[in-house]
Amino acid sequence: MATVAGTLAHQANTGVWSWITTVDHKRIGVLYGVTAFTFFCWGGVQALIIRTQLAVPYGNVVDAGTYNGLFTMHALTMIFLAIMPLGASFFNFLTPLMIGARDVAFPRLNALSYWTFLAGGLVLSSSFLFGQPPRGGWFNYAPLSSTQYAPDLGIDFYVVGLLTLGVSSLMAALNFAVTILNLRAPGLTMMRLPVFIWMTLIISFLLILALPPLTVALIQLLFDRQFGTHFFNAAEGGDPILWQHLFWVFGHPEVYILILPAMGIVSEVLPVFSRKPLFGYPAIVFSGIAIAFLGWAVWSHHMFTTGMGAVPRTIFAANTMIIGIPTGIKIFNWLGTMYGGSIRFNVSMSYAVSFIALFTIGGISGVMHASPPVDTQHQDTYFVVAHLHYVLVGGAMTGIFSGIYYWFPKMTGRFLDEKLGMVQFWLWFIGVNMTFFPMHYLGLIGMPRRIYTYDPGLNFEFWNMFETIGSFVLAASVLAFLWNFFTTMRKEPTAPNNPWGAPTLEWATTSPPPEHDFDVIPTVRARDPLWYDRDHGIEAPQPTGEHIHLPPPSYYPILIATGILLLTVAPLTHLAMTVLAVPIIVYGIWGWALEPTE
Amino acid sequence: MAHSSGHEAEQHGLQPRQYLLIGLALTLITLVELWVSYSGMPYGLLVGTLMILSAVKFVVVVAYFMHLRFESSLMTKLFAGSFVLAALIMFALLALFWGDLATGIRANRIPPGETAPPPASAPAKAH
Amino acid sequence: MAHAPAVVHSGRHQTSTGTDNRKLLMWMFLGSECLFFGSLIASYLIFKNDVIARGVGPFAHLVVIGGEEQHGVLDIPLTSVSTFVLLMSSVTMVFAVYGAQQRLPKMMKLALLATIILGIGFLGFQVFEFRTFGAEGLNLGTNLFGATFFVLTGFHGTHVGIGVLYLACLLAGSFRRTGLGPEAGHHVEIAGLYWHFVDIVWIVIFTIIYLIPG
Repeated sequence: MATVAGTLAHQANTGVWSWITTVDHKRIGVLYGVTAFTFFCWGGVQALIIRTQLAVPYGNVVDAGTYNGLFTMHALTMIFLAIMPLGASFFNFLTPLMIGARDVAFPRLNALSYWTFLAGGLVLSSSFLFGQPPRGGWFNYAPLSSTQYAPDLGIDFYVVGLLTLGVSSLMAALNFAVTILNLRAPGLTMMRLPVFIWMTLIISFLLILALPPLTVALIQLLFDRQFGTHFFNAAEGGDPILWQHLFWVFGHPEVYILILPAMGIVSEVLPVFSRKPLFGYPAIVFSGIAIAFLGWAVWSHHMFTTGMGAVPRTIFAANTMIIGIPTGIKIFNWLGTMYGGSIRFNVSMSYAVSFIALFTIGGISGVMHASPPVDTQHQDTYFVVAHLHYVLVGGAMTGIFSGIYYWFPKMTGRFLDEKLGMVQFWLWFIGVNMTFFPMHYLGLIGMPRRIYTYDPGLNFEFWNMFETIGSFVLAASVLAFLWNFFTTMRKEPTAPNNPWGAPTLEWATTSPPPEHDFDVIPTVRARDPLWYDRDHGIEAPQPTGEHIHLPPPSYYPILIATGILLLTVAPLTHLAMTVLAVPIIVYGIWGWALEPTE
Repeated sequence: MAHSSGHEAEQHGLQPRQYLLIGLALTLITLVELWVSYSGMPYGLLVGTLMILSAVKFVVVVAYFMHLRFESSLMTKLFAGSFVLAALIMFALLALFWGDLATGIRANRIPPGETAPPPASAPAKAH
Repeated sequence: MAHAPAVVHSGRHQTSTGTDNRKLLMWMFLGSECLFFGSLIASYLIFKNDVIARGVGPFAHLVVIGGEEQHGVLDIPLTSVSTFVLLMSSVTMVFAVYGAQQRLPKMMKLALLATIILGIGFLGFQVFEFRTFGAEGLNLGTNLFGATFFVLTGFHGTHVGIGVLYLACLLAGSFRRTGLGPEAGHHVEIAGLYWHFVDIVWIVIFTIIYLIPG
């Protein structure tokens, strides 16, 4: 019986099988983090090859076709396989801890999200193994994606990979939205939620609502390539611009999906190391919501040069400039948090402060693009590359590093080495600016993006070499981090419950937290619960020794993910694979439904 | 169905007879829609009437069959919010594409070598 | 077993908003589906006038091109019948939910069975319609009407098919010794939400594609 076979014993807490069947949000968070960081390193290697190719004019490290595959896969890897899942890693580990719950609302669905993400990531990345990476850029404009211009399997890898990753993100987003709305500890009202949790909630809603347009666009592309429709083929009455619209209806909210986790992280780190509550909490929350709302009304600013006409351009330009206001509010709130505080400049805080600076640079060049005439000049130049890397590397990744140093003691019970961490921070900060700041200048003097080489004598040589050196400084920073990580993991866990004196609930339990997170579910009396309890002399509640029930491990998530993997490779191999895949998925769901969770 | 009166209702909701009546009403609205579709009234009025009638059906099914009327307002907000967002994006897309058609910008997208299509018209009553 | 205040993985326990976890998830998923079908319907409407302007048929409705009348492939009376079938399946679904919540297993099983049969009937109409269109020369690649129509109604049909499978699993489960368990009402109600949503999507599609001429 599936019912009996699906119930696994509780005692197996180590070993590969325990990780495969785990439904513990902390373990899934670790799986997400390790997988995503691996993909991050892989995307970094791709970037290094790109930079080496561009170091000198007429570079011949790779040929043009490989170069196109490299920049496409670099973008896809960093966006979908590194930054998004690194955010998901924090959500997974921290959400239940920060809201005082014992797990997410749907632990098995959480495991399924991870395994589906892994399947999608492996399929997308394996395109290189077959020598057929997608070459159309991450936004993959028609008609470059048609069978006429991309006859090999590259675009098919793109389509099925992104569809699978979309399913994974949708499941995770639904799970976290329900968790945050429904599983808050007693007293934890919405306006007492930590800002990081607010950002998680906003991102979940953005994902739930933004993924379907991308799914539709990918389905249309799949039908164009496999079943002879002409959605994006102008010669047969289709419209390539439709792809652009549907893609950016997803693509712009996606930008906020990438940056809001970092904003949430800094909003937690800055108050702790300034020893002062977050300045203007409601303003930060509402400006986060405003950014998410406005993010739906600006997608066409990616398409100012497609001939939309004056009225749409004006509307989208105005909406885009308005987004600068809530973003500015957040920046002033972070500065206001630090003002007058007694600041501790450790590694995490250094990253958080440099996040504000680097993100502001990226944000300001973003507001420049909001003006259609300016954007027409910037379109497809390195200026745009500079903008997006300041936001994603200077913004999102810097915020994520801040979060890693901040929560590492909670996650592992160990402190990352501060001295090595400071070296790593300065390498990172210098590397980001060396690599990406000259791109502004190169773009303005006319260097187009996505060229695989350039002629000498265009004044491109010096700054390209400078950027390439900068990219290796960044690589050195990541290596220093890996060294720090591995040496730290060999040490004994020494971290106390609340080493930083932080106010949020995750610091009320042990480091690392027990499997059931909290011995007693905490009660929240104020916005910064641990500071309130400390100031009012409220003791932590004593464990009552009552039985705590945890959901048993399950192998159905990985079974269903295997079915999804087979379904994913069907358009790449033979549609008959679906015959194999569907029974596995149906059996998996059936067993899942009957599996006892009590 | 007759036994139901003896049971304590677990959930808010209507009685089977009321569900049947709603089903009947939905069928009647569908018949009216069919009549409107064939009636030959002015195109704008026809489209408007049909949209209103199908919106009524939509709301009735969501409110009574899906019990949204008896649930916490949180779910109404979530679903209505998503629906409104979907509708707004649809209208924006249509405005962007149909606006192109009206101003002739779209005609420029016909690839070189092809002639512009012949002007066509759709009659108001078209069955 | 003692009831810890935050045993989390089952919707029956206390939640912050007082709403069942699974029901909340289904409503948010349906919100997501609004965007999915909205994008598909928008694609259909975007190309609607283009198809006529290009003059490559078959067309949805009667059009006049170069002074010549060309008939539309859509069979509105027939589709009205299939629309009625899907509408009736919503009524039987409501009875299934009622039966499950009031602990009337016989009524629940009968109503589930009726819903499944009506759902399969709707799919039968759709297969017949697709085959007829194919015979009239309308395929995925013929023109953008074919592409947008088949993808939109095809994905709706896929949703109906998944719904039939979902309800069939519930029906099969209800014959186990323990039936659908103590939470039968919840299980059937959540399946019902999905089923009714598929029905309201068809309400919109029927109006926009079939009933509005031109």
